[in-house]
Amino acid sequence: MAIGYSRGQQLRRIVHINEEIKTVIATAFTINLMAMNAIFLAKRAGTAAVGFGALSDELRRFAIDLQKQMARLSEMTYDRVSTVTALFKQARLNQTLESTVSLCGGLGQLLVEDALQNRLNGALMDRQAQCDALNRRLTQMIADIVRLVEAGSTLARLAKTEAAYGGILSVPLTQVSCDLEERISEIRRSLEKLTKHHLEESEA
Amino acid sequence: MKTTQTIFEEGGHKWIAIVRDPKRPDYIIDTNEYLIVHEDDAILCDPGGSEIFPAVFSALSAEFDPSHIRALFLSHQDPDITSSLSLWLEFNPDLKCYLSWLWPSFVSHFGGTRKTFVAIPDQGMDIDVGELRLRAIPAHYLHSSGNLHLYDPKAKTLFSGDIGTALLSAGEDSLFVENFDRHIHHAEGFHRRWMGSSKANREWCERVSMLDIDMLCPQHGAIYRGEDVKRFIDWFSNLEVGILNS
Repeated sequence: MAIGYSRGQQLRRIVHINEEIKTVIATAFTINLMAMNAIFLAKRAGTAAVGFGALSDELRRFAIDLQKQMARLSEMTYDRVSTVTALFKQARLNQTLESTVSLCGGLGQLLVEDALQNRLNGALMDRQAQCDALNRRLTQMIADIVRLVEAGSTLARLAKTEAAYGGILSVPLTQVSCDLEERISEIRRSLEKLTKHHLEESEA
Repeated sequence: MKTTQTIFEEGGHKWIAIVRDPKRPDYIIDTNEYLIVHEDDAILCDPGGSEIFPAVFSALSAEFDPSHIRALFLSHQDPDITSSLSLWLEFNPDLKCYLSWLWPSFVSHFGGTRKTFVAIPDQGMDIDVGELRLRAIPAHYLHSSGNLHLYDPKAKTLFSGDIGTALLSAGEDSLFVENFDRHIHHAEGFHRRWMGSSKANREWCERVSMLDIDMLCPQHGAIYRGEDVKRFIDWFSNLEVGILNS
């Protein structure tokens, strides 16, 4: 039962990770639209907002990259569900075989003990190794995404500074850059939660 | 733990019934498993669900080396028959699993690979266990749409899957039917509801009436023997089945 409960918790944590992934993808989509508006606004402001326009273009690329990265992370999380489910199945088979050992004597006991040993040295170890490798890849990918979002955050801050030089449109440009900064902060908060769930999941 | 009883023995040819687990939780239906042994080879009929695997395996291994089981015969696809498949494959990954052609892709959700399953055609087929030749007998729609029984002409014994099942109450757990008239009351409701077709019912009765049967061994309940086999077939042929209210 303890194993089943723990695997159930693992699956629930993966569900939480997926929820955060969906939130980040949706927010990145919004940032993409906001950055497009910012580009048009910058064009209307003329030469005074050239820097703001360039930064908005970068923010748009950032949003597209982030959506792609999150989609890859989502695929890897799906693989994680498969691996955890396979481990769950293996653990259940082992539990049944352990119950069988406790009932058997003689030849039956020897056969089941052999089967258990083979499983522990073979299938279960392979699955665990797969699981660990996937965990490492997920950790690396989350770290890459965190770095990407840091870069996005810097772009938004710079855009806010550039907005001050936006001539007659500096007020709406500042408003847009503040909104972009706030959206990126939302993404950072989601990534913090996602990282926490992932770390708990890796340690399980 | 379940107990084993040898219900037929002639030289190296045996039928071993694996039955009655007093420790079985009451929310799990009781099942009978039958091991047909011929010299060093064996086939296990309806190996049971994963929840009762420890009880079946431990009882069986006290009588016979489980690594000599060459094949499983599955009368149909229900979980109380098939869900232990992956556990049996742990002991012999080359184990063959005979069942109706309808079910391999469904039962493989419990385990096995493409090479595990031997699909039995609708008309049945011969199955060899060492030198012993058994015959898979069609029993479609009784109750499953792809349903087969296993006949051993040498032992004159028919493994009849769910046909003959009686849901016995506690204390009425003898291995053989002792009083047919009393026993059949426990079988009536089950057969009326679980068996899907009166036409299939009559055809099965005609088919098995032509076989020489000393024992009719269901997956649940007690074994019919001697005159009770004929009594059961007569009773079943006149039973209206496939109806909701009995």
